[in-house]
Amino acid sequence: MPNGAEVRRTSVEEELLAAADAVHRFALHLAGDAVQAEDLVQETYLKAWVHRDQYQAGTNARAWLFRICRNAFLKTGQRANREVTVEDAELEAMGAAGLHASVAGSNPDGTVFEHPELNAVVQRALMKLPEEYRTAVTCVDLEDQSYADCAEILGVPLGTVRSRLFRGRRLLQQDLLAYAQDAGLLRGMKETT
Amino acid sequence: MVSCKQVMEQLWDYLDGELPPEATQEFAEHIAACKRCYPQYRFEFAFLEAVARQRQRLPGPSGALVQRLRAILSP
Repeated sequence: MPNGAEVRRTSVEEELLAAADAVHRFALHLAGDAVQAEDLVQETYLKAWVHRDQYQAGTNARAWLFRICRNAFLKTGQRANREVTVEDAELEAMGAAGLHASVAGSNPDGTVFEHPELNAVVQRALMKLPEEYRTAVTCVDLEDQSYADCAEILGVPLGTVRSRLFRGRRLLQQDLLAYAQDAGLLRGMKETT
Repeated sequence: MVSCKQVMEQLWDYLDGELPPEATQEFAEHIAACKRCYPQYRFEFAFLEAVARQRQRLPGPSGALVQRLRAILSP
């Protein structure tokens, strides 16, 4: 019969393994490359295993693994090649607010976001976001983490999470709506409604 | 009584389930009845749904990776 420590270990193993799909998605958004993402996931689990005593069974395994994963990613130096400066992104975000307001007027209920063609480009647009914004959007919008858990994962205050999340969303909207305009998706929708 | 300004300022918080229960209820009632706020809510909701759908579009980890993870967790 397994003792208490063995049962706990099995439980933690199961929890960590159950999070593999989510950690893989998270790593894909960080690395932007399938091979690098797999390496990052493996590194994440190696580190998680070494520090498994720091994880409390039954809590938020995904958040704990996401934090390890992002720290591992930041240490690899891959980030420097991908990152857009925050200052540039902030300027873009200001422009995004204006674009959003104008398109919200012609497509007020957001049905354009349900268009299959636009749906196919969301992932590409997401990968174009600066890493800080992309990670906040990934944590909250794809992985259903709370703002508080996201703050833990990123190691930043709650207000920073909100700021990065909201700016990231506006930038993403800007990109998607610009695509929709160029592709004539908005015009097509107006003609059919 | 929640105002349109408050709804606009905290719409993301509402959509993300970050508001306290009482405020969530007030926001829901306001949005359902407000011709100005409801379209904005629908617009942002549709956008968030489009982002969340990407979860199903992404490939999962390869079988070989899952095997390696199992080996790491059960040395």
